[in-house]
Amino acid sequence: MRANMAHKLDVRGLPPPEPFEHIMRALPALPAGEYLHVHIDREPYPLYEVLRDIGYVWQTTAMTDGSFSIRIGRSA
Amino acid sequence: MKPISLNTEQAPPISVPLRFFTAAPLFLMLAALILVSGAYNPFANMHSPALLAATHCITLGFMAMIMMGAMQQILPVVIGSPMPASRLVTWLSFLPLISGALLLPAGFMLGKPVLLNLAWPLLGVAFITFISASLFSLARSAAHNATRTAILLSILALGGAITVGMLLAHGYATGAPLSYAKLATAHISLSLGGWVLLLIIGVSYQVVPMFQLTPNYPKWLAPSLAPAIFIVLVINLLSLLLDPGSHWVAIFAQSLFWFFAGCFAVATLWLQSKRRRRVADATLSFFRLGMMALLCAALLSLATLSFPVIDHLGTLSSMLFLLGFAMSVIHGMLYKIVPFLVWFHLFRGGVKRGVPNMKEIIPETWMWRHLWLHRGTLLAALFAPWWNPAAWLVALGLLLQGMLLGYALLTAIAVYRRTLERVDGNST
Repeated sequence: MRANMAHKLDVRGLPPPEPFEHIMRALPALPAGEYLHVHIDREPYPLYEVLRDIGYVWQTTAMTDGSFSIRIGRSA
Repeated sequence: MKPISLNTEQAPPISVPLRFFTAAPLFLMLAALILVSGAYNPFANMHSPALLAATHCITLGFMAMIMMGAMQQILPVVIGSPMPASRLVTWLSFLPLISGALLLPAGFMLGKPVLLNLAWPLLGVAFITFISASLFSLARSAAHNATRTAILLSILALGGAITVGMLLAHGYATGAPLSYAKLATAHISLSLGGWVLLLIIGVSYQVVPMFQLTPNYPKWLAPSLAPAIFIVLVINLLSLLLDPGSHWVAIFAQSLFWFFAGCFAVATLWLQSKRRRRVADATLSFFRLGMMALLCAALLSLATLSFPVIDHLGTLSSMLFLLGFAMSVIHGMLYKIVPFLVWFHLFRGGVKRGVPNMKEIIPETWMWRHLWLHRGTLLAALFAPWWNPAAWLVALGLLLQGMLLGYALLTAIAVYRRTLERVDGNST
């Protein structure tokens, strides 16, 4: 797992529920108007439910190597 | 890169899958009691009423019960599309399934047509509800991957297996003139070779890399394996049911089926050998046992097809497939899915602190004990057709496995409830 100041989080190679835990830990520190960019092995459908419940929006992009990139931000 | 659609629906409440899971171990115990109910060894005759009844206790009451419960949770997680009206679907499938899975074995054991005639419509309602809801979920899923294809084909195979199964049960009850041997072969082929194998393949594509930290299944194999197995199953069925069928076509299709099943086992074992975290894990060992059993079943079946004079290889292959492959993998998945569900639903329910670690929800020592018990049961089953004491050992093994699994599942539910109560207590 790697995170940096540009709000990027790489959770590839981690077993459930570690990717979920890392994302949920990173979100409260996200400044308003900025996005968390997550790189993950599989599309995390259960995460979407939680994001919706706690007021975040997301956009998922399928990468050519089979992994997924998710941009998460606070809903307006 | 391509943007993909957004999911806005919710997974079912935890009570939905847990209801199915907690009922299932009771049927293992019931199967054990049926196996020791007679004065003779039920494994000595593969068509004995006791073995038929015990087998349906396991396939309907245990395996289908768990697979139907798990599908309610797996569909939203792996293809992002929950079943519609999950509570209604649950009651319309759970209650008829549990009733039918009790009545059908009772009908076989007691030789009472009225029980069979009560069982098959109930099972029909359970499976038609489940199949309809699954097809609805699959049809509206935006995911287009090998898992979705394999699950779709397994559901179609289940539809065929249930249709033939209901016809057979009705025929046994009324004495209708049917080609019982051919229909029974078609029923077994569609239910085990289609529904069970294809569903396990589809779910493994996700569960094995995700939970066991292996590489993904090879791209040259994953998308084509389930369709290839389905096609050879259909060819085999057509050659079986068409009169006069081609013997050589059937042999060819069966050989290909077992070759593909063996390929899946080898691919999974190979992926497991490449896993990134090499720590001992009981659920992985259940899976590995299942894949080794599937490989042995495939090799024995191919040997039977090549040398049909060796009579007992087919019997051993059936035992290896049902107890060795299907039951092992189902146990392995269950011990991974249930802790994850408890953890996820606690987290999602608003519990921010004190959510137990997934490894604390069901103690791993119990999983290892269960694995050893299951290995012993399987070993006894391989001797049971020829050695009477082994039949008793199989029954004892199934009884203890049912008790252990039931206790483990109730422990997980207790952890869930205790954590919620603690949070409620702190907030008031």
